[in-house]
Amino acid sequence: MSEEERQIQGIREAFEQEFERFAALNLDGMALSDAEARLQELRELRIRQTGKRSAIAGAMKLIGRVAPHERSAFGQLVQSVEKLIAGTIDAAEILLSDHISAARTELERLDVTLPGRRPRTGHLHPITILRQRIEDIFVAMGYAIEDDREIETDYYNFDALNIPEAHPARESQDTFYTTKGFALRSQTSTVQIRAMERRGVPIRILAPGRVFRRDTPDMTHTPMFHQLEGLCVDKGITMGHLKGTVTEWLKRMYGPDTVTRFRPSYFPFTEPSAEFDFSCFKCAGTGVFESERCRPCKGSGWIELGGSGMVHPNVLRSCGVDPTVYSGFAFGFGLERMTALMYNIDDIRHMFENDVRFLEQFR
Amino acid sequence: MNISYNWLKDLIDTRLSVEETACELTRVGLAVEGVHPHGDDHVFDIDLTSNRPDCLSHLGVARELAVIRNSKLKNKNSETEGKPKAENQTLVNIEDADLCHRFTARILRNVKIGQSPQWLVDRLEAIGERAINNVADITNYVMHELGQPMHSFDLDKLTENRIVVRRAKNGETITTLDEVERKLDDRMLAICDAKKPVAVAGVMGGLASGITETTTNVLLEVAYFDRANIRATSRKLNLATEASYRFERGVDIENLIRASNRATELICELAGGEAAEFIDVYPTKFTPSEVESADISAATRRLTGLDVSTEDCNRILNALGIVVSDESAIRDPQSTIYLSPSWRHDIAIEEDLVEEVARHAGYEKIADELPPAFGAGEYQPTELRERRLRYCLAALGFDEALSYSFIDLRHDGPFQLVPHLVDGTLEEKFVTLRDSVIEGAVRMRPTILPGLLEAVRLNMNHQRRDIKLFEIGKVFAAVGGDGLPKEQKLLALALTGSELQEGRSMTGRPLDLYDAKGAIEAALGSAGIASVSCRASEATHLRLGQSAEILIGDQVLGYVGRLSEDVAARYKFRQAVFVAELDIATALAGPGDLIAYKPLAKFPGVARDVSFVVPRRVELGAILSEVSEVGIDLCRKASFVDVYEGKGLAENERSVTIRLEYRSDERTLTEEEVEPLHQMIVDQVTNKLGIVVRV
Repeated sequence: MSEEERQIQGIREAFEQEFERFAALNLDGMALSDAEARLQELRELRIRQTGKRSAIAGAMKLIGRVAPHERSAFGQLVQSVEKLIAGTIDAAEILLSDHISAARTELERLDVTLPGRRPRTGHLHPITILRQRIEDIFVAMGYAIEDDREIETDYYNFDALNIPEAHPARESQDTFYTTKGFALRSQTSTVQIRAMERRGVPIRILAPGRVFRRDTPDMTHTPMFHQLEGLCVDKGITMGHLKGTVTEWLKRMYGPDTVTRFRPSYFPFTEPSAEFDFSCFKCAGTGVFESERCRPCKGSGWIELGGSGMVHPNVLRSCGVDPTVYSGFAFGFGLERMTALMYNIDDIRHMFENDVRFLEQFR
Repeated sequence: MNISYNWLKDLIDTRLSVEETACELTRVGLAVEGVHPHGDDHVFDIDLTSNRPDCLSHLGVARELAVIRNSKLKNKNSETEGKPKAENQTLVNIEDADLCHRFTARILRNVKIGQSPQWLVDRLEAIGERAINNVADITNYVMHELGQPMHSFDLDKLTENRIVVRRAKNGETITTLDEVERKLDDRMLAICDAKKPVAVAGVMGGLASGITETTTNVLLEVAYFDRANIRATSRKLNLATEASYRFERGVDIENLIRASNRATELICELAGGEAAEFIDVYPTKFTPSEVESADISAATRRLTGLDVSTEDCNRILNALGIVVSDESAIRDPQSTIYLSPSWRHDIAIEEDLVEEVARHAGYEKIADELPPAFGAGEYQPTELRERRLRYCLAALGFDEALSYSFIDLRHDGPFQLVPHLVDGTLEEKFVTLRDSVIEGAVRMRPTILPGLLEAVRLNMNHQRRDIKLFEIGKVFAAVGGDGLPKEQKLLALALTGSELQEGRSMTGRPLDLYDAKGAIEAALGSAGIASVSCRASEATHLRLGQSAEILIGDQVLGYVGRLSEDVAARYKFRQAVFVAELDIATALAGPGDLIAYKPLAKFPGVARDVSFVVPRRVELGAILSEVSEVGIDLCRKASFVDVYEGKGLAENERSVTIRLEYRSDERTLTEEEVEPLHQMIVDQVTNKLGIVVRV
């Protein structure tokens, strides 16, 4: 081995000695800051070992001293050592850099399951939600939404609705009266009269609103609640139209498989009269849900919803409508009851307590 | 109403099973709510509508069943027929025939009062009745069988052993069977003996003349009384009985003798009595109500869409006892006259006949159909804008409340009501209920705020500190004369605590007046009203200095601010609560602001911020209006940046920063151009308002 070759050998050994602490570097669990410091040191080492003033750069000058026939071999030797040094440093740097970027990623890793940032959203009252849904269905069927007085005369609350003086519904234990003798409307049927007076016939209206009855609050009663009243008067209107309309509405509300049932009943302002039920939205009319007795329909498969019938000729007459020319149907039901059934609410007093824990369950 | 299946089968031949019977009764309108087994019997719990008092007995229900399967009622002959009539016509004297249309009395002698036989006890217990003694049980039994209430007197306790039916005299009293002394008046009908009332007609018998263990001679009363009078008496005495319940709805006046005979027969058989004299005083003869129908089949089709032949219509009606009058064809060959039976008080017009036909033909046979189209659907004029407003408030974190329309009288005082609601010239400005079912809540609310604040308190009681609520609803005020009260739709807000983030428990910035104002601006803005402003104003329920009127244009529509200490203390609030209330009906009555597009700027503008140190009474509004007073065309916009108070400023001062934007449509402005303009504005504002620029 020539002197020159020994020198190259020395450079290589000196490098290996200096690099030794990087060769033995254990990256496992190394903190980001340590890794960054090591990288910095490695870069300094690279400058020392491969820069213009490095030993290996100086070794290139030795080529001139080597015998011409050995120059090629010597040159290859120098290059191979140079390559070894650069390659070793490169490999170490890649390892360190990868570790650093992995550590940095880990450091900046976010918990994507944390809640998105947004202000708390409020909630519409379930009565509003349901009212709007039903209004939308009936407006689409050509109905006009009507709203009217909540304080009424006995005429609109009773007389015009064919509720005679002696009728149990007229007893003051059921109706609120003001000191001046006005009644708080006990049903939205008052709007039938007001609307027919105002609009005349033919007419198709839907009247949602507050009504009042002197019931002491309990799980199923509140002295104020909401009703929804529908009225359709035209030439040739029959109970078939009543059934068709109510069924269409409930199908749109609860799905196309919904069926309805009409049972004979009695209301002073309709003749013939009927109560209507629909197949339970939960158990699809089977009475059984998840192999237990279905709750909303109490296992019967039917949900009793409201009252309906053909508008009584006396009601038509009191609105100046000739019952021999026109006929019509009306139906009505309580929104609280429907809401309670849909959302499984066991105590309807919650509807007017405005407990946010209640309100925020609906949207 | 409880009906025994076995008992029904005594009255009618039926092959219907228990389940089939329940199903069929429900189908024709006698809603069977439940079927309960009782020994070898089954009891139907039937929910009857108020127009069908004729079904308040087994006979009545059997009659409906008879129509369903076209089966026949059993005809029960009574052995009592032919028993002696009274020789002494003075036994019963009806003085007030307008209130007592018919009265029968049967004397039974040598009756032995004792226990009823087991079969009778069982029957009564099956339908939830308690056995007392044989005579009482028999009258009760016959009422449930035939629908006719009746009363038995101890004949020997009646002065002169006779009955007078007359109005009570004012001041007369009677102790009824429930051992309560009752004051009668001259509008109540009394059953009397020669001297005094012995029963409240149709409601309850007297204690002194009632059956006891020692009774041997019985007078059995079976009568018919005026319905409205029984109702009135029952209400006045606050005494509702099985008898009054039936009499006020109407019993079968033609069924009295059958009922009396049935009871007599049972008393003779079970209590060893002998049937003696009988008298039937019938001053107001029954006349069936006549219902005319030109074509019942056509009427049925017109109202229900059902095709039922005239023959089938008549079959159903006949089975229900509604028969064609013999005179029908003679009086008018073009139409038929139907006669309503004595047990039906609800058949008056053709539509009533149609209902009878339709319910027995079956509502389920009526085909669903949609009515022909007419006109276009429409919402209430303000509904769609109200919806946007609701959604906007919900997006801002407000929950929608609904509270009672009646509030406690105590809430009236402190609240400043929205302008123009109340007529100040009236003595009684508000609408008040005669009474309520919620104690004290007799005022029809003139403001929504008490309801909302009640809700705030309820939520605070549930450890909730951060609350935002709104309500849209009507308020009420009296009008002069006999007019119906005014009803007006308002929007109200209540908010307290700090900002909340969805899904995060840590609260943010504490809420203040500007959150309330901002919510109103945003809500109205969402409904198309941008011209909302506030003006300092002292509302009675708001804290001085944090109280403002809400204006749309120059119309005051309500108030916003922080609840006064005084009102807050009433609700025991220990943190600031902000409220707003405004007349949403008037706000939404207008068309909403028109939107006019402004061309987009072609050249960049120059923005300059300036801070003024101002006494607290100088408002931003004053500064901004001074800026526009200067009238520099190139100054396109003056907007609020920030307000600061505290360190570096005197106690009565605050610093208000605004941003002025200068822009030309022709060129890009230079700093050199803007500077003198800006200085001119700043100088004029400081001079006019006597304020200084903060350096």
